[in-house]
Amino acid sequence: MDTISSRFTSASAMALGNDNCNEFNPDGFLDAPSLSLPPISQPAAFLRAHTDDASNRDCTIKVNHGTTTLAFRFQGGIVVAVDSRATAGNWIASQTVKKVIEINPFLLGTMAGGAADCQYWETWLGTQCRLHELRSKERISVAAASKMLSNLVYSYKGMGLSMGTMVCGYTEREGPTIYYVDSDGTRLKGDMFCVGSGQTFAYGVLDASYKWDLSVDEALALGKRSILAATHRDAYSGGSINLYHVTQDGWVYHGNYDVGTTFWETKAKEESFNNVKVEL
Amino acid sequence: MSLQEALPDSALHSTASSVPIEHRFNPYSDNGGTILGIAGKDFAVLAGDTRNTTGYSINSRYEPKVFHVGDNVVVSANGFAADGNVLVKRLGQQIQWYHYNHNKELKLSSCARLVQHMLYGKRFFPYYVHTILAGLDEDGKGAIYSFDPVGSYEREQCRAGGAAASLIMPFLDNQVNFKNQMDPATNGTEPHPITYLSLEEVLQLVKDAFSSATERHIQVGDGLEILIVTKDGVRTEYSPLKRD
Amino acid sequence: MSNPQEINGGAAVAMVGKDCVAIACDLRMGSSALGVSNDFEKIFNYGNVYLGLTGLATDVLTLSDVFKFKTNLYKMREERAIEPQTFANLVSSTLYEKRFGPYFVGPIVAGINSVDNKPFICGFDLIGCIDFAKDFIVSGTASDQLYGMCESLWEPGLEADDLFETISQALLNGLDRDALSGWGAVVYIITKEKVVKRLLKTRQD
Repeated sequence: MDTISSRFTSASAMALGNDNCNEFNPDGFLDAPSLSLPPISQPAAFLRAHTDDASNRDCTIKVNHGTTTLAFRFQGGIVVAVDSRATAGNWIASQTVKKVIEINPFLLGTMAGGAADCQYWETWLGTQCRLHELRSKERISVAAASKMLSNLVYSYKGMGLSMGTMVCGYTEREGPTIYYVDSDGTRLKGDMFCVGSGQTFAYGVLDASYKWDLSVDEALALGKRSILAATHRDAYSGGSINLYHVTQDGWVYHGNYDVGTTFWETKAKEESFNNVKVEL
Repeated sequence: MSLQEALPDSALHSTASSVPIEHRFNPYSDNGGTILGIAGKDFAVLAGDTRNTTGYSINSRYEPKVFHVGDNVVVSANGFAADGNVLVKRLGQQIQWYHYNHNKELKLSSCARLVQHMLYGKRFFPYYVHTILAGLDEDGKGAIYSFDPVGSYEREQCRAGGAAASLIMPFLDNQVNFKNQMDPATNGTEPHPITYLSLEEVLQLVKDAFSSATERHIQVGDGLEILIVTKDGVRTEYSPLKRD
Repeated sequence: MSNPQEINGGAAVAMVGKDCVAIACDLRMGSSALGVSNDFEKIFNYGNVYLGLTGLATDVLTLSDVFKFKTNLYKMREERAIEPQTFANLVSSTLYEKRFGPYFVGPIVAGINSVDNKPFICGFDLIGCIDFAKDFIVSGTASDQLYGMCESLWEPGLEADDLFETISQALLNGLDRDALSGWGAVVYIITKEKVVKRLLKTRQD
């Protein structure tokens, strides 16, 4: 094991960014794969001109955006709930995106913003966490894992990465812990976060019923209900709901719920969503 | 001494209404076309039209863009053809190198992860392509993987990519995943169960999807090339599309 | 937010069948990403003519009232209701009057001519160019999706029941791939004997 980890401790040879282009490898991240840059003086401006951005709608490359994700701490651990819609402009590119990234059996990362950025760097984070385990013979703390990610994105600051993520996990030392990490370099520890274009709608439902003493079933139902509310009002959220519960034994998956059917079941059961008519 | 003589040479050529000419590095163009992949129980198909365009011009009526890159993996990178061809060529090479280094087949799931790294490797100078990968998984079931330009990916039952994706994708939702359809056996009270389609049904859907897209999209037409992956290998079928 | 036709969202479609026509629309009215109303019908009725109006909601409401006014005047002067073809020309000229400051709409018209009992549908661009189609007309933020659905589902000579199923499936699956459309849908099946209006149960996300 030590030989394996030492092999990955020196500068990585994973230069998949090809060609004779310039390459970007941020200082202090010799184990991060290097990414090729366009052969011009202002790479960030180039990227902004060609990829989707709030300030540049009619661009060539559309990147998937729009989401509702949430995670909160309570008496029984952590509940993580997310939607599954990916949009490119008004086009719904997918209704089946996995927005919870299973970094390892004890760590979950959520996905908001650029789908590729989150997917790529959170799987990268998974490899780093594994190497940490091999080197130090103990599981990485949530604090350390989230800081690795935030330091990484900070080293790319201004280059156009777009991610808003929650790193959720459990260690003996920390207990159930949530860190919010985004591509600006923000890193916050907290009890409750909602992230994405539908965050305000999710906060609305979550705040109304949240208590520390929630039972596990109640907490899962609340997480699911908060995402449901967000998928209803936010055009860029929808598809289905993915539910996770994090405990001292790691995370447990609690299923996928199609909003198409879950909405009508919820409406009938709660007698809620009375703004939605069922007959002419 | 007149005012004109006092001015530097360059100023004489510019008039009051002229503006500075802005030059910008634009390495991308759009070559149109559409691709479509559907996974079945023990097969997968990846189809693409064979028209190649820039603007309103047709560059070619037969320029294949779906390729077998070895190990029963077929791939197409639709969008900017130069980027697409490079990506497919590099993927083929990577699979060859994998054979030399490890002397075994590259699994489809590993191939998908490789494509993610190739695309994300150019995160700050992206390949302008929508990529679809088709083949069989470790259990021999049909599999489709689709990628955005910078490498976010997902395994799916079906996916349309490229210029007419927005025309074809809702049709696929309806006909492959039976979205918005109810089960006639339950008198319309339960959703239509998800079942696998036969190869014949899938090929007919692909042809219908492309002839519809050809009708309404100027960048789609001329010919349809379908690559069919089964455990016996990869087979190609060609059928003509409208050339107008 | 830059394109006025895409601020509020919404979609509509019309189809021709055997001795019948159908017209359908979604019910969403939003403000960009935020859904505001799920009871915003985009189909308006003037006698035996049905008008679908997608686009900027304020213009949809304004124009629907303008046409109410104009068709009422027409009825008083001619002592008969307006025919679909005549109404189409009325829509066209009304829109072209605002050639350089247009209403940001995508109108579609459907109806059965009461003289020859022939089905009629047509669509327009925002300044009134008429598109006379023999098969179907689509409009709104889900128009690409609707083109794909209609082109593959529609066939000539559909009976009223089959036409209902066809237009409903086309609309429903089209809406489900557009972020700005959906939140309920209504369908009108128009034959010369009767008009049936149905509410479709759709996804609410």
